[in-house]
Amino acid sequence: MNIRLAKAEDVVGMQQANLVNLPENYHIRLWIYHIITWPQLSYVAEDPKGRIIGYVLAKIDEESEDKTADIHGHINSISVMRSYRRLGLAKKLMLLSQDAMASIYKAKYVSLHVRETNKAALGLYRDTLGFKVADTEKEYYADGENAYMMRFNFENES
Amino acid sequence: MSKKAVAPKESNRYLSSKESTLFKELLSLYEAKQLKKGLKTADQILKKHPEHGETLCMKGLVLVHMGRREEGVELVRKGIRMDLTSHIVWHVFGLIQKGEKKYEDALKSYTQALRFDKDNMNLLRDVAQLQTQLRVYDGLVETRHTLLRLRPTARQNWIALAVAYHLSGHLAEAKKVLAEYEKTLKNVPHYDVEHSETLLYHVRVLEELEQHSEALALLDVSAKDRTIVDKTAIMEIRARLLLKLKSDEAEHAWKVLVEHNPECYDYYKGYMLNQGLSLDENPAEALAILHEFSIQFPKANVPRRLSLSLASGEEFQTLAQAYLLSGLTKGIPSLFVDVKSLYTDTTKLKSLQDIAESIRKDTTPDPSVASSSVSTEPTTYLWVLYFLAQHYSYLSEYLKALELLELAIAHTPTLPELYTCKARTLKRAGDFFGASRAMEDARLLDGQDRFLNTKSAKYRMRAGFIDEASALLGLFTKKDAPSPGADLEEMQSLFYLLEEGDAHRRAGRLNLALKKYAAVQRVFDDYEDDQYDFHGYSLRKFTINIYLNVLNWEDHLRSHPSYIKAAIAASRIFVNVFDNPKIASGNIDGGATDAEKKAKKKAKKAQKEKEDAAKKAASATAPTSTNEDKGLDVPYKDDDPDGIKLLSSPELLELAAKLLQPLTTLAQSNIEVWIAIYDVAIRRDKHLQAAQALTHARTLDPEYPDLHVRVVHARHFVSTLPEPIPSPSGPVFIETIQKMLPEEVSPETFNSQYLQNHSTSGKAILATAQASCALGASLQEMEDLIFTVLRDEVQLDIKTALEISSFLKELKSSRLDELHQAFDVRFTVSTAFKTSDELTKLREWALTTKANDSKSSDNGVDAPVENEAELGKDA
Repeated sequence: MNIRLAKAEDVVGMQQANLVNLPENYHIRLWIYHIITWPQLSYVAEDPKGRIIGYVLAKIDEESEDKTADIHGHINSISVMRSYRRLGLAKKLMLLSQDAMASIYKAKYVSLHVRETNKAALGLYRDTLGFKVADTEKEYYADGENAYMMRFNFENES
Repeated sequence: MSKKAVAPKESNRYLSSKESTLFKELLSLYEAKQLKKGLKTADQILKKHPEHGETLCMKGLVLVHMGRREEGVELVRKGIRMDLTSHIVWHVFGLIQKGEKKYEDALKSYTQALRFDKDNMNLLRDVAQLQTQLRVYDGLVETRHTLLRLRPTARQNWIALAVAYHLSGHLAEAKKVLAEYEKTLKNVPHYDVEHSETLLYHVRVLEELEQHSEALALLDVSAKDRTIVDKTAIMEIRARLLLKLKSDEAEHAWKVLVEHNPECYDYYKGYMLNQGLSLDENPAEALAILHEFSIQFPKANVPRRLSLSLASGEEFQTLAQAYLLSGLTKGIPSLFVDVKSLYTDTTKLKSLQDIAESIRKDTTPDPSVASSSVSTEPTTYLWVLYFLAQHYSYLSEYLKALELLELAIAHTPTLPELYTCKARTLKRAGDFFGASRAMEDARLLDGQDRFLNTKSAKYRMRAGFIDEASALLGLFTKKDAPSPGADLEEMQSLFYLLEEGDAHRRAGRLNLALKKYAAVQRVFDDYEDDQYDFHGYSLRKFTINIYLNVLNWEDHLRSHPSYIKAAIAASRIFVNVFDNPKIASGNIDGGATDAEKKAKKKAKKAQKEKEDAAKKAASATAPTSTNEDKGLDVPYKDDDPDGIKLLSSPELLELAAKLLQPLTTLAQSNIEVWIAIYDVAIRRDKHLQAAQALTHARTLDPEYPDLHVRVVHARHFVSTLPEPIPSPSGPVFIETIQKMLPEEVSPETFNSQYLQNHSTSGKAILATAQASCALGASLQEMEDLIFTVLRDEVQLDIKTALEISSFLKELKSSRLDELHQAFDVRFTVSTAFKTSDELTKLREWALTTKANDSKSSDNGVDAPVENEAELGKDA
């Protein structure tokens, strides 16, 4: 499978892949907004026919409520179609996005939300990518499930 | 809105000093969206000057924001009439029109406003956005020039002008502006992402001007002093430029990219191209390079996979053996999909089949040996069965595939992929009920997985179970939505809209099918509208490169397969109803399924509650009621929820033509598009367009069955016209047909020649029958022709068989049952041609699942799942 930076024309493919894979969905405007604001951070995986089968949608949080907070990246959405798992695509997508966050925006860390019960994703973030749980957000998801807020520090990168 | 000089006393724009102050206040209140206060202030002014145009317009604008659109728009119109030379009234009108998505009208109003206030920055900025939305690029250049002249210190005004030049095709001018702009910068900021993006845009302009050395110089110097900070962009552009410049450094540059992301095909392609190799020729050299890469990046898949495309003979055998074995040992579900594209080469196909079969032999557990002493991974055996099942299913050897899947399921009953594969195989074989049931079995193994949920819903729709599909989809949609479908439509789910549209179409509910296809069209309209705000936003963010790409994507939006599918499907319905209005009237009642009726009731109720609430709010004397800003965009209102108005529209063909219009430039290589365009054009007496459509289709595939039918139709059409088609289109049309069907040949002869040339193709036989139908052949003639598809040597797939069946049905042939019986024998697995009694039973059966019809099963939702949704567990 081919992994590359997301292009403008990928937004529909990313949006539709998200609708098939995950319960949290977004209008096209949000996908365009991310890709126009941070064109270096989102990546896609495509199948031999050029269809989007995985993506990571990412952004930079420059200002948060806490003014002293460091600039950091945030993963808005990541998914890989079930039929393309076990290829390590999610990991590769994450690493490319994280690399861009640290090197272009001087992000200090990257954060993301994950469902408490999503063991597979937790495994990827914690065991494979080295994320740590920073916080729990109660009833973060529309269906009432809690989210772990996870973080990975880029300390050793420059 | 800005207010200038005081109007003379005799003018109807005159306000006394107190009211004049109030008006200024009104403008600021509007800017701050203090709607309540704004309305109050407007009323105060109007008390004394009831015919003050600008105040009337402002009041109207505020009312629209408050959700009282009709009332507001009326006031705006009145205000304009009162003061035709005010920039404010035209500005307000422009805003209203923009909210109605009438961009052209809005631009006209803005242009009018500018006549009376030519240097108004707000107006100019809005005009620029409208001009971009409408792709009026020459006008855009002018507007951007004015803005830069008015405020040369604003950085974005420079960039905006360069972009305008770029879009209007004046790259050299864009370059000049950028160079000027960079001169005005005093302190070049370091490590500034916005500046970095601007420079990357400058490099792009130079590259598009083919000034490669200059582009490279700018890139290198900016990379060195860290004014361009995007490493990936630097590497990519550098490699590309060095390649174009035929530089010695290029090889290294491409290698660096491969190191950066060894899973990107483009980087390997670039590397090869630079070595004078393509991925199609000089396989030996290219293979050696890929081999090097695969040693350097042992975890990368791309070099190993690319090698399979290039290698042949024994080398392929060796590489493929290693590739398959590694994929099967790791249990990679996509292995088959990954190698499938190699199947165009039949030697490779055979080779891969042999390898997989031999791995299967090696891994099959020997029942005589105790299970504890197995030498190979038991999962390899499972995955090779899965691989081979997909392989045989792809080759239409359905029974073999199903047999393999039963073995695999007996081995591991908890792997959803086995059931999804079974479902796909059954679907291909024409058993839509069994397919739906198998997919539901897969879903039950992992109820938390939306992917499986989507698949099962899709398969239910294919089997005609729309309500049951909706129930499944509802497990993942918003609970407060009127229906699962409404939520999916709101979230712009294209797959859902198309699948449900198709399901309704197959069931003959054409009005509801059209509704879904129209919803697809609306999603694309929204995609197009949504770019509007970014015309200004991206300039403020300085992300020009991606913005230009977004514009380009928007210009090609409707080349998306989902749009094309919906447009063609809807157009066919429009044409069929035009030809035979009865199918519309017979269709209308009893259309909706139960769940839809319920959903509609719910939606109606919700709508009524909403309207009541709105009325209440309005009658409760709005000025004191709410400050909530409803915006200027017209909310979508569906006044035809069943699509009945749509289906009985007096302008069916015009609707179809409008849907297809974008495809004449965006989907030129799609033959179905041209067929659809012909069908609509010929019925609208657009002979020139019909002729062009046939010509286009012919260049794509002169023997295409549906084209054959149209050529015969066109000839018959001309010969039966009472009067010749007037010049110039008439002669062109006739000439076009003559090129395809020479004058001296009768259409009947032409038709039988076509049949002779394609006598073993089921599709061609159907086409010949359809052409005969257009020529007025007798029912018996057509039946006899159709029944020739039953000969052993005729190639026939399920899809064509179904089309043939509906053709006979349309003809009201008495031999339909006879045909179905024969098809039922021919397509062993298929359920498509069963009798209605059998179908009733099958439907019932399909909605039961393994879990609740066999006692031994414990495949409930909570069953342990072996392939538990791992994201990248192999890492």
